[in-house]
Amino acid sequence: MSIADAPVRAVISPSASLDRAARRVLAANWRRGATVPAGGLYPHQWSWDSAFIALGLRHFSPVRAQRELESLFGAQWTDGRVPHIVFDPLVPADAYFPGPAFWRSADVAGAPGVPTSGIVQPPAHALAAWETFRAAPAVARSRRFLERLYPRLVAWHDFLLTARDLRGRGLVSVVHPWESGMDNSPAWDVPLSRVVPLPPAELARRDLAHAAAAERPTDTDYGRYIRLARDYRDSGYRETPGFAVEDPLCNALLAAGEHALASIAAEIGLDPARHLARAQQVTDALMAELWDVTAGTFFAYDVVGDAVLRSYSIAGLLPVVVPDLPVATDLVKTALGDRFRLADACPVPSYDLTAADHEAGRYWRGPGWINTSWLFWYGLRLHGETGLADDLRDRLLARVRTAGFREYLDPLTGAGFGTDDFSWTAALTLDLIRTGPRR
Amino acid sequence: MIKISCQEQLLPGESLQAKWDFAARAGYDGIELRAKGDFAFRDRLPELRQAARDGVPMPSVCVDMLHFIGAFDADLRRDAIAQLRSQLSVIAEIGGSVACTPASYGMFSRRLPPFEPPRTPDADRAVLLAALSELGAHAEANGVTLVLEPLNRYEDHMVNRLDEAVSLIDEAGSRGLRVLADTYHMNIEEDEPTSALVKTADRLGHVQVSDSNRFQPGAGHIDWGALLGTLDAIGYDGHLAVECRLRGEPTAAVAAIPGYLRRWS
Repeated sequence: MSIADAPVRAVISPSASLDRAARRVLAANWRRGATVPAGGLYPHQWSWDSAFIALGLRHFSPVRAQRELESLFGAQWTDGRVPHIVFDPLVPADAYFPGPAFWRSADVAGAPGVPTSGIVQPPAHALAAWETFRAAPAVARSRRFLERLYPRLVAWHDFLLTARDLRGRGLVSVVHPWESGMDNSPAWDVPLSRVVPLPPAELARRDLAHAAAAERPTDTDYGRYIRLARDYRDSGYRETPGFAVEDPLCNALLAAGEHALASIAAEIGLDPARHLARAQQVTDALMAELWDVTAGTFFAYDVVGDAVLRSYSIAGLLPVVVPDLPVATDLVKTALGDRFRLADACPVPSYDLTAADHEAGRYWRGPGWINTSWLFWYGLRLHGETGLADDLRDRLLARVRTAGFREYLDPLTGAGFGTDDFSWTAALTLDLIRTGPRR
Repeated sequence: MIKISCQEQLLPGESLQAKWDFAARAGYDGIELRAKGDFAFRDRLPELRQAARDGVPMPSVCVDMLHFIGAFDADLRRDAIAQLRSQLSVIAEIGGSVACTPASYGMFSRRLPPFEPPRTPDADRAVLLAALSELGAHAEANGVTLVLEPLNRYEDHMVNRLDEAVSLIDEAGSRGLRVLADTYHMNIEEDEPTSALVKTADRLGHVQVSDSNRFQPGAGHIDWGALLGTLDAIGYDGHLAVECRLRGEPTAAVAAIPGYLRRWS
């Protein structure tokens, strides 16, 4: 086999620094204006992946970090939604399912010229844009990065807080498990059980060619996902397709994102007050609607079933990223408890370690992810828990050094799962290295 | 810390020693020599030996002729190989380690009339492999490296991308052969220059730098942060040899290059 045919893999050895290995992954996964999450399994641009990837790219190429976000928002719909996938027209149409032929964005008025999906992902982008700016203000100013991105970020948040405030309580609903970013979370089992799955024969899965079936969603769950996506598509991406939940992570990122928009507005000479007010409104709604004081966590709310989803997910702890959150200390306490074992489990488990249905290796049903762990680390620092933050950072880096840039890891053994050379794992590793202990 | 060298014709000064005084002050780590035909490089040996004794670092030499190892004409091809053999011997003698050549330059382009070259791709490949095998063995024997440089499609019709050069040197099979990555040509030919560098990491022997418009780094639109960050990430520890045209007052332009590049590394 010649080198030209060899798969691109980061070789992590004691002699090659983790920093260099991370940059190798990011260089190899860059595709003319955006980064693919992984060359095989995820060969297009994903929305919240791009936000996390920009956080790493900013240390390597400020221009690429800015372009990562600009290219994503270049595919924004006129209603403000930022699609969860922007398809690369140069990648074969059958390389990923559901692909452009499934989503049919061109049939919808207001969709961009490039093919996209029609659902969204958690709004981590304003936070990423502000951090990207902070890494290289001179480059950003010369390219008018924030001036160009700001109105698009505002339109994105406006979409979420209008079209997606389904209960009128000031919180955003996601209408598909994939929109939560935590596709297969046990928190969605109850609302998902109401959805009649499409038969396996109608599912042209591609993910199983790249990862072990035991680590991926089951055919039944996959059939439900496709049913929901199809119904939503067939309504012109307007009607709630039988699934709607208020997810604490999405709403926490929105609140943190409004704080970031306030900083961005101030930087470009606009009034930050409206963003600070909106951040407070979302924070208040999170506290009023999703906080459970006894449990010490936030629970998602099933809008269709009109019930609290009492499932201990990492999403319930991630409002720790919200500045001025009144219960940050409680969240840290819960994280340190048996369910998440912050002091020794790493990455932070996606789901309750004590639950009977915890599965350490299955997609979002137990394993730890670098992005949610990064968010928790970010929140720890935000609320002054620098000792815990530094310890988590060191253990995350040790895990990646051993397992490589895997998609997700067993939080107790550190075994890696899913795809390798995963871009946000590399990007956030680079950020953890470069940011260092105690800013 | 990246190492930066400058081609000799870009540096002010009458002698290599004077050029090096200037280059060292500007932050360069070495001088890339240029080798004309008719064994002119060998004939410079007294000058080059004295420069080496005076401490001028000369890590590489770049061929400066109008016929090359891929010439259509067998006599020209034979001469190009003889010249490169000699250049490899000379660069080894003065303490350098790299001699550079493209497959050809200015001989034929499939993008310009008459579009169809007089030799088949298979015959092109056979000619190049024969030359590379001979030169690779000679380079190995001298403890130095011959690097094959892909040029853009308007300057050569045989080797335009890094993967094409990798394929040739792999088949030639000598450890004395490596690939030269030139940022200007890559900017035209590679889908993604940084991805191409990652894939070529194990075969990369030399790098020449100029911006997207062939002027000095900083004059065009190459993302130097991404490029230099990638070279460091793949563990490239050779020189970046400046080979470019100069925009602005030449002396000031050439002096500013090391500072500009190190901003991004």
